[in-house]
Amino acid sequence: MDFPFVKEAVKQLFSKTSCAMYPAVPSEAAPHYRGRIVYHPELCINCGMCERVCSGNAITRSSEKVEEGEKITMTFNLGSCTFCATCADFCSRHAIEFTGDYHMVATKEEDLLVSGSFIKKPPVKKPAPPKPAAPAAAPAAGAAPVKPRDDGKPVNDPSKCVYCTLCAKKCPAGALEVDRAAKTWTLDEDKCVGCGTCAEACPKKCILI
Amino acid sequence: MFKKLIAESMGKSPWLFHINAGSCNGCDIELVSVLTPRYDAERLGFKLAGSPRHADIVVVTGPVTTQSLPRVLRAISQVPEPRCIVTMGSCPQSGNVFKGSYSVAGPLSKYVHVDVDVAGCAPKPQAVIDGLALATKILKEKREAK
Repeated sequence: MDFPFVKEAVKQLFSKTSCAMYPAVPSEAAPHYRGRIVYHPELCINCGMCERVCSGNAITRSSEKVEEGEKITMTFNLGSCTFCATCADFCSRHAIEFTGDYHMVATKEEDLLVSGSFIKKPPVKKPAPPKPAAPAAAPAAGAAPVKPRDDGKPVNDPSKCVYCTLCAKKCPAGALEVDRAAKTWTLDEDKCVGCGTCAEACPKKCILI
Repeated sequence: MFKKLIAESMGKSPWLFHINAGSCNGCDIELVSVLTPRYDAERLGFKLAGSPRHADIVVVTGPVTTQSLPRVLRAISQVPEPRCIVTMGSCPQSGNVFKGSYSVAGPLSKYVHVDVDVAGCAPKPQAVIDGLALATKILKEKREAK
């Protein structure tokens, strides 16, 4: 009589199990696994890009008026999320983080909501600079309605702009320079090709072209 | 005495019934991988049942399409009480990327009471084991309350 697999059978009988033995042995997700969302409201600038790119409509933004300004609340519904991380990719301030926490089990829908809020303060109005020294030909600074230019180059509406720098990042010619700290938006007219990518990318739609 | 023994044994061997309500197959593959020797949910007593009448836990995947809705409800109504309904993945909870489609009737919670939600797209097998363990606990509570 021949027993072909006896050796293999005995070996397997005394070898270590191939089972991961979860939950007795805790298991970590692989690096770069996209699990539970962590939102950093202190970094957020309320540009709304994440909400626009979300394929599952999992992100909602609400605002309410408070004393110091506007209270913005972002809510991420993990029960509606595809974990594609497009929101994190588009976030210019890296306020959305995908962690390796995959234990997303809930008995109520509210348990799957991740939210955070911050208070957006209105921009501090600078006193108007003295005008008389400027030459008469210079356009009046801060003229109330911003009008599109005739030459097809973009123009920025500072009353709406949040200085998220998305337009500068999207500009194929590198003609835009946005300084978030100094709240300046400058256009290099020689470099600008007037393609309109900045106006398209602007989450606040404050660039006119 | 026998009743007590049966109750204890049933708590250790919850049978699953899997309903695909128009899923993309991602969650279905993850659920099957939970039962493979790698994650081996069978060592915890979980077993796929062929008929809803044999099941204790119903696992629903997919955004509940209009075509599948009557079948889903019929299958769930055949599962004897007390039962536990687990939604797997984002689709049955909210519709996920399919929400707003003319052929999606979900979310599932509009039609039946959902006990456990397992989020993820698709959830990791470990997360599914977590969800099933929670479902077993809820099932036990429901049996005791009966």
